[in-house]
Formats: sequence, C-alpha cells, structure tokens
Amino acid sequence: MTRKWLRWLPAATVPAVIAAGVLAGSLPANAGDPLPDKSPAQVLALVAGHRDAAFSGTVEQTSSLGLPELPPASAGGDTAWLELLTGPHTARVYRGGPEQARIQVLDRFAERNVVRNGQDLWFYNSKDNTAAHAKLPAGTRPEPRQDAVPQPDRLAEALLARLGRSGDVTVGPEAEVAGRAAYRLVLTPRSSTSLLAAVEISVDGRNGMPLGVQVKARGQSEPAFSVAFSKLSLEAPDASVFRFSPPPGAAVKELPVPDHRAGDTKRPGPNAHGKVHPKGEAKVSGTGWESVVELPAGAFAADAARQQGGNGDAAALLAKTAVPVPGGKLLSTALLNVLILDDGRVLAGSVPLERLQAVAAGR
Amino acid sequence: MLLALAAVPVLIAVAVRLSSAVPPGRGPAFLDQISQNGLFVGITAMLVAVPLFLPLTIGVVAGDTVAGEASLGTLRYLLAGPAGRGRLLLVKYAGAVLFAVAAPFTIALVGAGIGAVLFPVGPVTLLSGDSIGPAEAVGRLLLIAAYLAVSLVGLAAVGLFMSTLTDVPVGAMAATVVLAVVTQVADALPQLDWLHPWLFSHRWLDFADLLRQPVVWDSFAANALLQAGYVAVFGALAYARLATKDILS
Amino acid sequence: MTGVGPAAPTATAAGAAVPDAPPAELSIETRGLSKRFGRQLAVDGIDLAVPRGSVFGFLGPNGSGKTTTIRILLGLAAASGGSVRVLGREMPRQLRTVLPRVGALVEGPAFYPFLSGAANLQRFDAADPDAPARTRQARVRTALERVGLAHAADKKVRAYSLGMKQRLGIANALLAPRELLVLDEPTNGLDPQGTREVRHLVRSLAADGATVFVSSHLLAEVEQICTHAAIMSAGRLVAQGALAELRQAGQPGVRLVTPDPGAAAAVLARFGLTHDGGAPGSGTPGGAPGNASDGAVLRARLPAGPDTPAPETLVAALVAEGVRVRGFTVEQGSLEDRFVELTGEGFDVAQ
Repeated sequence: MTRKWLRWLPAATVPAVIAAGVLAGSLPANAGDPLPDKSPAQVLALVAGHRDAAFSGTVEQTSSLGLPELPPASAGGDTAWLELLTGPHTARVYRGGPEQARIQVLDRFAERNVVRNGQDLWFYNSKDNTAAHAKLPAGTRPEPRQDAVPQPDRLAEALLARLGRSGDVTVGPEAEVAGRAAYRLVLTPRSSTSLLAAVEISVDGRNGMPLGVQVKARGQSEPAFSVAFSKLSLEAPDASVFRFSPPPGAAVKELPVPDHRAGDTKRPGPNAHGKVHPKGEAKVSGTGWESVVELPAGAFAADAARQQGGNGDAAALLAKTAVPVPGGKLLSTALLNVLILDDGRVLAGSVPLERLQAVAAGR
Repeated sequence: MLLALAAVPVLIAVAVRLSSAVPPGRGPAFLDQISQNGLFVGITAMLVAVPLFLPLTIGVVAGDTVAGEASLGTLRYLLAGPAGRGRLLLVKYAGAVLFAVAAPFTIALVGAGIGAVLFPVGPVTLLSGDSIGPAEAVGRLLLIAAYLAVSLVGLAAVGLFMSTLTDVPVGAMAATVVLAVVTQVADALPQLDWLHPWLFSHRWLDFADLLRQPVVWDSFAANALLQAGYVAVFGALAYARLATKDILS
Repeated sequence: MTGVGPAAPTATAAGAAVPDAPPAELSIETRGLSKRFGRQLAVDGIDLAVPRGSVFGFLGPNGSGKTTTIRILLGLAAASGGSVRVLGREMPRQLRTVLPRVGALVEGPAFYPFLSGAANLQRFDAADPDAPARTRQARVRTALERVGLAHAADKKVRAYSLGMKQRLGIANALLAPRELLVLDEPTNGLDPQGTREVRHLVRSLAADGATVFVSSHLLAEVEQICTHAAIMSAGRLVAQGALAELRQAGQPGVRLVTPDPGAAAAVLARFGLTHDGGAPGSGTPGGAPGNASDGAVLRARLPAGPDTPAPETLVAALVAEGVRVRGFTVEQGSLEDRFVELTGEGFDVAQ
C-alpha cells in the first residue's frame, strides 16, 4: 500500500513544484538594494533629466475600457487605432538615436512596422503588404504615432506635461518594471469630476526613463489602460534594424510631409484624437483632467461613413456600444465618454456625461 | 501517417497552382504568397496542419503507446520480460517524441520541395517587411518545424497519460485529440483569459514570431517551458498510473 | 495413457545451484495471498507451495482465480493482501532479479501481428535489459526450433494458426535458461500432436531441473504430466500436494451395470454406499445412472472406515436379491473425482 503511494508521489510533487516556481516568479525579486527615497519633485527632476538613450525593448499594452474586444484579424487599415484600444498588444521598440527608431506591433501572423531612419519614415503592414513612405524635414522628433502602440516614455512625458500641474503628484511604493527597480509616480486629479482615478508612472531608478504607465479609472481595480516595457536593453540596437526598404511586390504610397508636432499624444486613447484632429477645428474647454474636446459637425460623421465604406468595424462597434441619451448617443468607456450629438457635433472627455452635456449646451 | 501529413502541402501547392491568383488577406495567412515563392508552401502547410492534422496524428501515436500494447496483450509479456514499467514508459514516450519531431519536419520539407518544383523560389519577405535569401528562409522553415515539434511534445505526454488509463487505444487517441481541440476552443474564448497561458495549445501559432526580423525568441522559450511543464506533469501522472496499474489485459 | 506413472517422485528434485540466491525449497510460496476487485474477492487467502523441480498442476474451474494468481506471481497485478515469494525472493519487490529467471505464458499468447515470429521474440527479449543482445538471434533460433517453428520463423504472426501462436508463446518463455516456467493453459488450441509435443517439452524442461507451473482446466493433461497439483475453487485453494496423495484422498467407488437399477440401489444403500449424483444426464461423472447397452449404469461410493463391505459381499447380496448383475467394477479414486468432490460443480472438461 505504501509502495503504491510512493508511485504517485512524483505526480503530486511536480505540480506543486511548478506552482511554487510560478509563485516565486511572480513575486517581485527584491534582490537589489532598494532605491534611495526621493521626493516627487526629485523624481520629476530625474525624469526631466533623462536623455533619449539608445535602447531596444518590448512593450506590453493592455486595456480594459469596457469596450467589446475586436477580433485582431478583422481590424486593419483605418480602424487599427480602434483595435489598439481593445485587445492586448505587444510591440518591440528600437531606438538608435534621435533620428532612428523602429516600432513593430506584433500581431498574430502579421506585423505593423514604423521605421524612422534619418529623414525617411516608413510604414509597413504585412497583412495587406502595403508600405507608405514620407520624407521628414530634418530635426523632427522620431515620433510616428499612427497605428502604433504608444511608447511608455513618450506617453509618460506627455501625460506629465498635460496633467502634472492640475493634479497631485506623490511617490508610491517602489515598483519593478522589465527587471529594473523603478520609482512610482502617482498622479491624482484634484477635481472629482474626472473619470480618471489616478495615473501611475514607473520611472527607472537609475536613469530616469519612464518605463510604464498605468491609468486607473474610478471604481475599477484593474488598470483601465496599461503600457509598460516587459523587456528593456539599454544597448544600442544593430544599425541594420533601422534599414528598411519595401519588400518586392508591396504597394508603396508616397505620403505628403506630415504636419507633425512633438508630443501629439495627449492622453489615453490618444490615437483617437490624433486621427480626428486634422479634419476639423477641435475646440478644447476645461483644462487638464477635465478638458473636453469638441468637434464640429461633420468631422466624425464623415470619418464614420468612410469607415462604413471600408470594413465597417468602427460603425459596427459604435452601433454595438453607443446608447441613446437625450440629445444624441453616448459611447461610454471606463476612461472616456464620447457624446455624439444629433446635430453631428462630437464631444469627448474623461468626464461624466452630465459635464459633456453641459459643455454641449454651451455652459 | 507521415505520408498523410506529407499530403497536406502537396494538396495546398497543387490547389494554388491550379487556381487563379489568391487575393491577399483571404484564406490562411501566407496563402497568397505561395504563387510568388514556393517556400511558403511549407509554412502555409504547417499553419494549416497545426490546429487539427498534427494534433490528430500525435494523438493517434501517443494514445496508442501503452493502450495499444495492452489491447494486443503484449504489454503483459513486455512487463514479464521484465521491461520495467518506468523504462517501458520512457521508451514508448521517446517513440512518440520521435514522431512529434518527424511530423512537422516532413510537412516543412515536403512543402518546400513541392513548392520549389511548382513555383519560383526567391527571397522571402518576412512579416517585418525585411527580405531574406532562400537559404536563410529554409533555415527559418526548419526553425518553425522545430518550434512545432517542441509544441507537440506536451501533447504527446498528455496522450501517453491517456494511454495508461485504458486498454482501448481508440479511446486514448480520441480523448487526446478531443482535448487538443477543446483547449484550442478554450484558448479562443476571452472569458477564460486566466486559463489561456496554461493551455498547451496556447503558443502553437506563435511560431509566426520566427518570421519576424529580428526573430522573437521569447515565444520559443516560453513555449518550450510550457511544454516542459506538461511533459513533467503528465509524465509523472503516466508513471504513477502505469506503476500502480494491475495489468489485466 | 502415455502419461507419467503415478509413481513419479513426489520429493523435490535435487535443486540446481541457484546463482546469487539462497537455494529455496519452494519455487513459489504464497502466504494468505488475496486479491480484491472492488467488492469481489477473486483470490481469497491462498497458501501455495510449489516445490522446486516439480511439475505443478494448477487446477480450477473457469473464474476460480487461477489467472489472477498467476498475474500476481509475475508482478503484473498487485496483491491486496498476503505475501509472495518466487524463487526464494519476495515479489514484487525483487521483480527485476526474479523475472529474468522466469519464463511465462499468461492467458494465451499475444504478439504483434505485423511482425514475423522471430522478430516478435527478439522484441520481447529486448524488453529484458539484462538479456544479452549479442546472443539474441541464436537464442531466438534455438527457442523456435525447440517448439518446432523454425520453418515459420520469418512468417508474419498474422498468418499463424492458433496452435502456431501457442507454440510461439511457449518459445518466448524459453528464450533464456529459466528456473521457473509459468505456463497458463499451454496446450490450448493445439492439435493432439501438438499437445503431445508440449507434454514432452514440459517433461524435458523438468528433467533439466526447472520447475514448471502449469495451469489448466484439462484434468487429463495435469494427471499425465504433473507431479504435484493444487485445486482452486471460487478464489480459495481447496487442495494441494503431490499428485499421488491427492488421488488417494479420493474414495473408491463401485460401478454396476444392471437392468434393475431400482432394486440394486436399495441393496447398495443397505451397505451404506452413498449413491451420489442425482438426476440422470446431469453430466457429473461421479454417480449418475447412465445407460449401457445391457442396462443402466450405477455408480456409488464405498463408505470410508473399517466397515467397508468387500466387493464380493456386495455382489453376493445383489445376486441374492435377484439383481441381474451384468458388470461390476471397483474404481479407484481419480483426480477427476477428487476435483468434483472439492469444487462441487460441473467441470467443463471438453472446453
């Protein structure tokens, strides 16, 4: 009888060992010395002092905005930004210097590439084998925004610039991101109308580089939006990474020189704004955490209609999630409310519906 | 069985050759590239075979390991040999692993071969948009086959365990194949998010990471670790089961 | 009757020196061996004692627990209780040292149908990690010759007849020099010629000093080749010992042929002869009246003890009562009688 039990012993031990290994792996490895205590101002100074180093890393992005998840395969082309808001994403980021960068969004059996090498900017999508090329004026920041997962350091800088002044900044418990010890800056809004509960920015304890951003919504324990490095190497990537020429057989489109402003990313879901921005005269009311963007009639509708002519994913998503409210339709997510008025105007902001309606009414 | 697997790339190649140009983005990934580059036949065939054909053949081979001997009655003679139950299990599993390695390599090489015969061969465009020469492309093809071989090793261990549970080989085979299909369905359900990283089929399709430039090795390592976990757990279970089993067949 | 005489030695044959094991008097020894399947007790506390060098017949009706016992002896199944010693070593703890010295045929032969006979044997031989691979081919050839299958060595087993498979199974048991052979129903499926060859083989194996443990439901076979026997019934061991002792334990009886069965039965009853056996045609060979051309056949058992009537007294009394005695025989107890006596149920001899 005892012999019988002995035979089952490995079968019981192995899962236990694996469970122990997984638990041990998920615990933060506090092997290194804890970082010296720093005040929020000191951490902010550390961030401000960091310079764009060459690095290569992997970025993981997750969102739980309350939007239905789009099948990654169906999203492509114009609705790619929508898809970025829903499912999880992995991207590899290479930066070789101020004018060398490459971002690879790793989709299943496909890849979206943005490559900046000197003045050449390339977009490549393997799904439909299309490429686009632009010649940038010298000195532009290597900030391709379209169809790309936001990079933690850039997003963090933008958020600090926009929200830092109208919120409280504290330093939370030390974090570990991509195996590196990091300070955790916590930004909380002073006003209570914002949908945002807090923005947490992990800052590398040694060189001040922002390693991750988490945006928390009110009443939600999981971060509504998170983007962070899962791997980071501070060695300069091989130069061949930035050399890109479109593959044979690819359809290549020449783009006009983009009107590209640094730090265009404004807040979570920046691509949504970025996409609509150039089309109409956007009006911003309020500041910081409570700002509301108002788009005039036509801008968004035209966009939606165009997409309907495309593959209709955005329209379908809109139809599925938008609920009728007095005066229009509301697209509600954990971080952002979008009010589409019957007169065609669109208002968006990280604020409750009432505030959007108040702005719409001109108050 | 390997012949049946070899038929997959041949079928694909012939079908593409006979049909008119495949519009990009339709059908399985890479299908549209076959007519430009024969090497993609091997990749497409592996992609097509991963969800069902490969698990099916592995399920048949692994499910037959112990249960097949039991149903023939030869198990009792091997053990009275005495083969030793642990040793028998090891030899049987080694056989299943050998097949798990041979299967994807067969598909890859037959695919590349028939592709080279029916279509032109040239530089291969990777997912990242970079192009590599045919020699390096064949290297990637073999790398993918190796990735799939590793992927199937875990399933083979599951099949081995199933095989120790019964004296009816068909039962063990069916259970293994059904499990392979069920895990893939579960992997597609967002409601079971928490379970996904633990499913042995979770990373089967991540072999696409080997078609990026530079190669993403993370998924290869993570997959190998996952499969090693399955081999350890189900290997131990299979040993416990066979070592305490009364051989009554 | 070409069998071994009842005078076969009951003593243990002089055991050949056993390498690296203390010489054991008993090749197989179990103490209180039990096996339970769910609620059913398949083997119920049996104490087997198989003397070294004996040819041991393991008898029992179908389903009496013979094959289960053999499986436990070979370490294929685990005992629910009791202990087993094979060749002086504890099983299944010392399975690895015991089994290479044991050849077995368990519950019929089993082979890979798509391999040839020789290939099958080579595969089974390879199962034993200690079997020398160098001599494998030669040993396979010798074993095949010994069972008369040399001509079919390269034929696929699929094409073998049942008898050929049975021989191949025996050849598998003979791949290496064995100290103990466990043969479960070795003559099953063999033609009379093959049966005789197997008997001959068993005898020659025993002559070489091996212990042969034969399970069978063929009584005649056991009577012919065995020196010892044990009888199983419903999971229990009901008798065991040298064959001659088992036979003697049976009571002698009389066989009477007469057209007057009624009167004869009354006379026999007077002398205390138990007229066992009931309804005609029940098939029990013990005491049922049968039919001969010149009258009914009556079988009755002589009572044990000092007041056993002499046969001539019985005949005289029968004749005095006017019973027409057309035939009268005194029958010594056969193993068959003993068997039926012990198991108390019909024995499917012809199966």
